[in-house]
Amino acid sequence: MRLFRTSALAAALTVALVVGACSSGTNAGSDSDSKTLTLASVDQGSIEEVVKAFEAANPGVKVRFTTSGADQYQQQIRTQLASGTAPDVMTVWPGNGNPGATYVLAKPGYLLDLSDQPWAAKLPTGLKSVAQYQGKTYNAVFGLNGIGAVYNEQALTQSGLKAPGTWTELLTFCRAAAAKGTPAFALGIQDNWVNQLALYALAATVVFGADKDFDTKLQSGATSFAKSPWTTAMAKYQEMDKTGCFQKNPLGTSYEASQDLAATGKTLGIIQGNWVVALLKGKNPSGTFTLKALPATDTPAEFMMPAAAGAGYGVNAKTKNKDLALKFVNFVMSPEGMKVFNTKQGSLPSLSDSGAAVDPAFTELTTYLKDNRTVPFMDQLWPNAKVQQTMLSGLQEIFSGQSTSDKVLAAMDADYKAGA
Amino acid sequence: MTLTEKAAEHVPRSARRRRTDPPWWFVLPAIALFAYVVLLPSGRGVYFAFTDWDGLSPDWSFVGLDNFSAMLDDPDALQAIRHTLLIAVAITVIQNGVGLLLALGVNTMIKSRNVLRVFLFAPAVVTPIVTAYLWRNLLGPDGAVNSLLAVVGLGSWQQDWLGDPQLALWSVVAVIVWQFAGYSMVIFLAGLQSIPKEIYEAAAMDGAGPVRRFWWIVRPLLAPAITINLMLSIIGGIKLFDQVYALTGGGPGHATDTISTLIYKDAFTLGEFGYSIALAVVLTIIVAIVSSGQYLVLARNERAAS
Repeated sequence: MRLFRTSALAAALTVALVVGACSSGTNAGSDSDSKTLTLASVDQGSIEEVVKAFEAANPGVKVRFTTSGADQYQQQIRTQLASGTAPDVMTVWPGNGNPGATYVLAKPGYLLDLSDQPWAAKLPTGLKSVAQYQGKTYNAVFGLNGIGAVYNEQALTQSGLKAPGTWTELLTFCRAAAAKGTPAFALGIQDNWVNQLALYALAATVVFGADKDFDTKLQSGATSFAKSPWTTAMAKYQEMDKTGCFQKNPLGTSYEASQDLAATGKTLGIIQGNWVVALLKGKNPSGTFTLKALPATDTPAEFMMPAAAGAGYGVNAKTKNKDLALKFVNFVMSPEGMKVFNTKQGSLPSLSDSGAAVDPAFTELTTYLKDNRTVPFMDQLWPNAKVQQTMLSGLQEIFSGQSTSDKVLAAMDADYKAGA
Repeated sequence: MTLTEKAAEHVPRSARRRRTDPPWWFVLPAIALFAYVVLLPSGRGVYFAFTDWDGLSPDWSFVGLDNFSAMLDDPDALQAIRHTLLIAVAITVIQNGVGLLLALGVNTMIKSRNVLRVFLFAPAVVTPIVTAYLWRNLLGPDGAVNSLLAVVGLGSWQQDWLGDPQLALWSVVAVIVWQFAGYSMVIFLAGLQSIPKEIYEAAAMDGAGPVRRFWWIVRPLLAPAITINLMLSIIGGIKLFDQVYALTGGGPGHATDTISTLIYKDAFTLGEFGYSIALAVVLTIIVAIVSSGQYLVLARNERAAS
């Protein structure tokens, strides 16, 4: 009997120890004093500089930050928010449509209202729609990104070809480039997010160039993906593939491998966002790369470019470090912070008074922005994350002959109607 | 029945009980720990399979069996279940076949056998995610595999190994077999080395050739090694995640999605936690049924063989 009591005590002790260990574990994420800020970011390569500048401007303050890829980050931040272990400041995407987007995180109350911060009122109208949720600002968006055709100027000169200005010229350009053994564009759709870029570049002109209010009509149910020029955009993407605009086996090519192709001139360019230019220069420092609108029709006057707020920063509503968190976000939105971020990322500043010099590679994008000829990335205003995922895996299936564009657009409509 | 068991039969029942069975409550600390760390959280997790929780919002509602019936209408889920079973069977058969051949090979007296054992086992030591990323590059359209084929004049055999939906699943299987055949080999090798040489010699004297020696001596005496290898590879195959995710991400489209990759995508990309937990419950049930069924069959064979 004595033995029994001892072992029962041991069991009770074990349980108590485990319980203790677990409960202290959950607090670990938020144990920070007022001088230490925790931060999670996807801006690898630029956030480091911003943190350095912030720490220099605020002596005694320490920023503990982690960076990760977008996919990984979106999955991890959800878990952290749900379990109460999220950092003070975190990357938040504009608008809706992905698991880390403003609407998605603001709706359950995970983000702090930033409406009374000095920069909130100064955001351009186009950005407010994606930085706000129900009229309140939650996202400090510091930069803009655009999608188009990025050309390797040296490769272009060597091939003797000229960047195309119309859809017909584009197809001729693709044929000529393929005949020379250097296909027009690198396409790395093994990583399925890459698949949206060319489609968005085409849809900007084909769908939104013709009808600026398309999104409103889509929301009201007056139109659908399957019954709109989205079918044309899909058809043009496939026509580009059939014409030989892309290198062989795009489905086996990763994003990384596609950068190698474009950087080293094995293709004449790549259809990507402006962010790729910095990566291409990393792989080929002597290269010159320029971003141009992807021609989708034969009337250049109606061309549009997809351009939208990039990921910004939001503040954890449950932060114990509110003052410091706000200070950091305001630093990001200050001329100094914005300049560091956008110069490093090769993006365009979201506030006009930032004073950041814009890379000459993006002259065309800047002009399009000034002329109001841009549309937000299409998924930013879709009601849920599933529409985009259906599109991405659907495009892979189209490229591998397992599906058709009609089927994919119909599936996107079904997911869109399912709502939030 | 072994000798010790036979001997034990002669000991009076009560005496044996006192001597061999420790008091039942000795197991309590372990059970308490196991319940707290594994059973309780799993049980609570299973509850969410009957809800529509999105993994984020603090409230959810009970939806009964809706998640499970939705699975039957979801072509992606059905396809993933099919892929999972196909991969598990393919890996079990090929990996153990190759592993057994390798073990028989390095169990002979050839000179470099120790070096060969090390080399053949080496891939199994590397983290699966690392080998998967390596192979993703090697199997790319301009990767080493295709280049090698071109060099040796087999250019027409070049394939888009991971981009072709017909091939991608088999490329994944090949990578896993490459990595873990050595692992199966080591277990078989241990079994082979425990077979006394005298039995081979006696059989050889009786005029048995290599094939008959394998069938009548090696196979039955290797039964425990076969059991453990088949169990490990089939369970590993059914819950396969990391290699598939790193090699193809489940693509192109859904051509290589397994139940595990689908669980991950549905939960973390789409925020359908309830549905993906329901998928996880189905996965658990499949693993339980397959492994216990397999165990029963193999244990019977083992008894028959010994």
